[in-house]
Amino acid sequence: MNKLILVSSISLALVVLSGCTNKSVVRYGDATAVETTDINFGSTDLQKVAGQMTDSLLVSPVVGTLTANTRPIIFVESIKNKTSEHIDTESITDSISTKLLRSGKFRFVDMGRVEAARQQLDFQQNSGMVDASKAMQFGQQVGAQYMLYGNLASIVKSNKDKSDVYYKFTLRLMDLESGLVEWADETEIRKTKEKEFVSW
Amino acid sequence: MSIIKNNYLLLTLLCSVLFLSACKNVPPVTSGLGSEQIVPGQKYTKHLQVHNEQLGEQLHISDIKSRKTNDLLEINLSLTSTYEKSLQLQYQFQWFDQDGFAIEAGKSPWQSLELHGMQTITVAGLAPSIKVASFSLYVREVPEKFFKF
Repeated sequence: MNKLILVSSISLALVVLSGCTNKSVVRYGDATAVETTDINFGSTDLQKVAGQMTDSLLVSPVVGTLTANTRPIIFVESIKNKTSEHIDTESITDSISTKLLRSGKFRFVDMGRVEAARQQLDFQQNSGMVDASKAMQFGQQVGAQYMLYGNLASIVKSNKDKSDVYYKFTLRLMDLESGLVEWADETEIRKTKEKEFVSW
Repeated sequence: MSIIKNNYLLLTLLCSVLFLSACKNVPPVTSGLGSEQIVPGQKYTKHLQVHNEQLGEQLHISDIKSRKTNDLLEINLSLTSTYEKSLQLQYQFQWFDQDGFAIEAGKSPWQSLELHGMQTITVAGLAPSIKVASFSLYVREVPEKFFKF
């Protein structure tokens, strides 16, 4: 009798165990959802920083004056990463410049593609393959009037129960001719991670 | 006999642990409250929708203001908590042109927001394009995964 109980208990345990196996499932998620996988700089932080900075720039009275009759040309300098983690800051500047360009208020020059543009113009001018009357000319590009640059800094603190990270993103718009900073703003993000007690 | 008794105890413990670990993912609650398309100047109260009754009792969209700044539609939205504890929320704006077509559909990110007990907070939104003529917004609690035993 005891054996029977023992065997049935083990069988029951096995049945229960088999009902709770770990399996990997791949799903498409919402790219715009709030992401809280860990405390490091993530997609939600990037979207927040890019969104707030673009909005702040576009509603500022100074920019209203600058863009009243013209679409100023901007050159995006890199964002300096002063945090303790690796962050692709080019991705932040890409998002900001794309949003600004799509707003229809600004135009951009891309210094990251100068060499490729030079090669293409060189091909058009000197390869003998392109009709000379239709080839693009050297020295016709338009210079940027403003420079967009900034910093991303962080303060990280943690103890055995809690981690806290604070990001501060600063962005500035400088008039390249006069050297005046025409606009500046900063945005902050605070993220915490702490152990939670689960109850049911 | 005492060995058998010990075995029973062990087995009971094992079974309890296994029962507790036999869990199932339950999809999170993602309904909240929001609005249909609002054209600036219209009264928004007619367009408010509450899909989550529990959240609807804890949270109200108390005011929606809009104006044009540098040709772009700017929105100020006041959220008021009638709940004594903090609420972990997120909100999303959607933008439409004058024909009601979505602008940058699916690109507007959910933005997170912590609303403390009984607090009123103003969140701002700016249209991504000068073509935007109307907007809608949605507020929901941060979806959390629950486990069913």
